[in-house]
Amino acid sequence: MENLDELRERFRRQAESVADRDSWEALRLDWLGRKKGVVRSLLSRIGEIAAEQRREFGQRVNELRREVESGLEEIGDRLTAREREASLVARRVDVTLPGRRPRQGSLHPVTRVIAEIETIFAELGFSVAEGPEVETDFHNFEALNMPPDHPARDTQDTFFVEGGQVLRTHTSPVQIRTMLARKPPIRIICPGRVYRHDNDLRHSPMFHQIEGLAVGEGITFGHLKGTLEAFLQRLFSPDTGVRLRPSFFPFTEPSAEVDITCPFCHGSGCATCSQSGWMEILGSGMVDPRVLRNCGIDPDRYSGFAFGLGIDRVAMIRYGIPNIRLLFDNDERLLRQVRR
Amino acid sequence: MQFSWEWLGEYVELGDDLEAVAQALTDAGLAVELVEEVGEDRVLDIDITTNRPDCMNYVGLAREVAALRGVPLRQPVAGLPTPQPGPDHDVVTIEVPELCRRFAGQVIGGVTVGESPDWLKRRLEAIGLRPISNIVDITNYVLWETGQPLHAFDFDTLIDRRLVVRQATAGERLTTLDGEERTLDETMVVVADGARAVALAGVMGGLDTEVTDQTTTILLEGAWWDPSSVRRTSKELGMHTDASHRFERGSDPEACRAAIERATALVLELAGGQLLGKTIDVRGTEHGPIAPIELSHDRLERFAGVEIPRPEVEERLKAIGFDLRPHSEGWMVEPPSWRRFDVVEAADCYEEVLRLIGFDRVPAALPPSEGPDAPEIPIHALRRQLRDRLAAAGYAEVINYGFYGAAQDALLPPLFGDRPALAVENPLSELYHLMRRNLLAGVVENARFNRRRNQEAVQLFEFGHVFWRTADREPKEREHVALVLGGRLGTPWERQLEFDLFDLKGAVELLAETGGVELVARPATISGLLPGVAAELTLNDEVVGILGELDEPAGEAYPLLVAELWLDSLLPQPEPPKVEVPPRHPGVAVDFTLTHPLDVSFASISAAIEESATPDLSSFWLEGRYQGQGVPSGAVNTTIHFEYNASDRSLTQEEVNERQKLLSDQLIARFGVGGTAS
Ligand SMILES: [Zn+2]
Repeated sequence: MENLDELRERFRRQAESVADRDSWEALRLDWLGRKKGVVRSLLSRIGEIAAEQRREFGQRVNELRREVESGLEEIGDRLTAREREASLVARRVDVTLPGRRPRQGSLHPVTRVIAEIETIFAELGFSVAEGPEVETDFHNFEALNMPPDHPARDTQDTFFVEGGQVLRTHTSPVQIRTMLARKPPIRIICPGRVYRHDNDLRHSPMFHQIEGLAVGEGITFGHLKGTLEAFLQRLFSPDTGVRLRPSFFPFTEPSAEVDITCPFCHGSGCATCSQSGWMEILGSGMVDPRVLRNCGIDPDRYSGFAFGLGIDRVAMIRYGIPNIRLLFDNDERLLRQVRR
Repeated sequence: MQFSWEWLGEYVELGDDLEAVAQALTDAGLAVELVEEVGEDRVLDIDITTNRPDCMNYVGLAREVAALRGVPLRQPVAGLPTPQPGPDHDVVTIEVPELCRRFAGQVIGGVTVGESPDWLKRRLEAIGLRPISNIVDITNYVLWETGQPLHAFDFDTLIDRRLVVRQATAGERLTTLDGEERTLDETMVVVADGARAVALAGVMGGLDTEVTDQTTTILLEGAWWDPSSVRRTSKELGMHTDASHRFERGSDPEACRAAIERATALVLELAGGQLLGKTIDVRGTEHGPIAPIELSHDRLERFAGVEIPRPEVEERLKAIGFDLRPHSEGWMVEPPSWRRFDVVEAADCYEEVLRLIGFDRVPAALPPSEGPDAPEIPIHALRRQLRDRLAAAGYAEVINYGFYGAAQDALLPPLFGDRPALAVENPLSELYHLMRRNLLAGVVENARFNRRRNQEAVQLFEFGHVFWRTADREPKEREHVALVLGGRLGTPWERQLEFDLFDLKGAVELLAETGGVELVARPATISGLLPGVAAELTLNDEVVGILGELDEPAGEAYPLLVAELWLDSLLPQPEPPKVEVPPRHPGVAVDFTLTHPLDVSFASISAAIEESATPDLSSFWLEGRYQGQGVPSGAVNTTIHFEYNASDRSLTQEEVNERQKLLSDQLIARFGVGGTAS
């Protein structure tokens, strides 16, 4: 019987020296192994025990077994905890390493601005209309109240293609095509490429415009102002000031140049706006009755307003691009910076 | 256009607040862009729009200032003495009465040509004009004062001492005042004497008959010339003068005579002499009376979107010389002669009222909603989706000019076959003399630009129109999209990727998917693309695109893979397909590797698999390709992944193996040089 106490003591000593999974497994086999384990061999010797002591012997061996089992479990748990700790150390990452982004491309700054303006006008109930870039003289000039020999043609240095047509100098011909094809009410914007025979640091022979047109019954000059204000305040910022100055375009009457408070200095004056606090942003006006008539729309019944905006300059303002030529150099190092 | 503040003050009380006057002018449509000090004077640079030739002079501008400030206009008056007897023949004859509606003139004898007085020289110099002699300076002075261009002839140099207004003859020559010899044609109008052209009508006088130190008798001319005729002539000859600038915008037909009288009075005052004969005033075709315009007060207010009291309308319009008579609830309006070409209908009057009351008076308002306009046009919707998908797939959008040069045109054949390029008649240079027939030329150039700048990879796209012309020179255009890809992407950290043709083809497939179509790639020989790495993309046997590797000289950092596609081929976008509900039972997958000759296409293997109609084969795809050790030369290992799935039960590995073996054996028999199932 004293023997069992010694065994218990021996297990305790052995358990203390278990340091890893292997020695734990060896200890388990030593004590609980089915063939040669200490507990098993004790039980197999039960026949050698006097009959009256067998019961007590059995109880004491079982006690020993439970102690061994719980001892092993305890050590096992400790080992598991230590192993997990070790593995966590191994799996630890440097969370400051850069993430791997799916490679994103980019939309051209001009495309982004056009999309933004299309969204604003969609909210105002306008749809998008498109048309060809090679246009007839009629659609580009004549229907817009610019007959041949009209001095206003001087301001629209024109590219001609063989056969007598022109590269559209504005997207107004899309307005003409729409008015010829549809009856009022009409509310459209016409984004697109346009061409002028002009090539220097400030001009590109190809650039982009969005023109807008609203024709209906009871359209007033006040509606032109209201629409432009809503548009420009959404495009720039809600506190943008909008100012209309009388001007002249052959296709609108009255015509107005539209200024906004300078988006760089917010009106206080800076180099970009020549200290004026204002920046000319678009041209607009009430559709000239001659233009309506040219499109088969009765100016006694309908009125309308139109406006035209250079996109490229807005893109330059929006993204801080100092030179229009940079827009068409197509340098990926620049383009890919434009992500939103 | 430059105006002297001091000179302007002769015709209207300006007050001392230049800025206020400048602002008022700007607000009324005469934009004062710059004010400069010149000596003691100040010069205003005013942008006078094409429609306002009446303001391209001091009196006209003063009239606006007077109206805006509510002060009177001080018109110059010319009192002339009784004339001496003049030439006893008709000095001026008009042979083109449509183009010269009026010709006023005056012969003045005994003049002394000399320097102008200081005040006159100073005024001319202030606005950048060079004083020449008293007579010439007076014509310039009166032009700037009244807007009526004048010319002075040395009367004694005129053959027969007479003038004929006529068409030039073809090849007729005239040396103009600037010393240039001009060759004329019949579309031009000249003022001739008894033998030859002596002035280009409305543009410039002739050298031979100009006023010189020796001149003692002059003939002043002040005429009304047809705007289109003057414009054509000045454009044709490349001559833009103070006179032509005004005539081609429409001068005041009633100003000729008053201007002649004003100039005559100045000549008598500054150069002496006496009138020889009465003021000449010959008329061509009459313009006719000015048609009154019916102006409704109610419609004016409805157009403007603001109330404008009747008295205010009357006061504003009268101040700039309009005549108003009450009519119905509005007026009958008669514009003055200097506005007769510009103001012809009610809308023209609305404009005048609005600019004079100031645009600020009109409150901003949104138009009443009429509901949505037209739905989005299909090509716009398609382009928007394609752009977004390409950008999300890593491509950067570029924009190139619509024209290019012959070298770029030759880079690749156009998608639409051998149709001639549309030429620009007045190109910026030979580098831009053709409208582009393909987008790729531009995008490839962009790619090379970026590659030269040591970009590790290029990945670009562009949407744009391409152009051609038909046999009868009709221009045509349509929209394409082009893609260029090349290089290797990313660091080892980012797991590097080296682009090849199939990365680009995948992007093209993405585009086709957006359009709901499947494009078939057929090997093709395409000049500009590497033989064997080029394909036509077809839809229903029509070529709608190309795909391949650009054929470039060796030595570039990496090859460029290119594709271009006709956008309309992806229209109309069909409804999105309905989804297939995934099977409830797990499927069984098998990989099979077929070793086959290189010239067996994957398309033919795919077709054979489809044709086999193997039961429960739900999908298959290319798992990998391998050439190298263990594969016979001239052959390739193609590993295909097969997925089997029955809708109603779980398949066993055994039955799948059985079916796959049948299929594999067929493929081996048809294409293979051996194969193994795994
Ligand atoms: Zn500023």
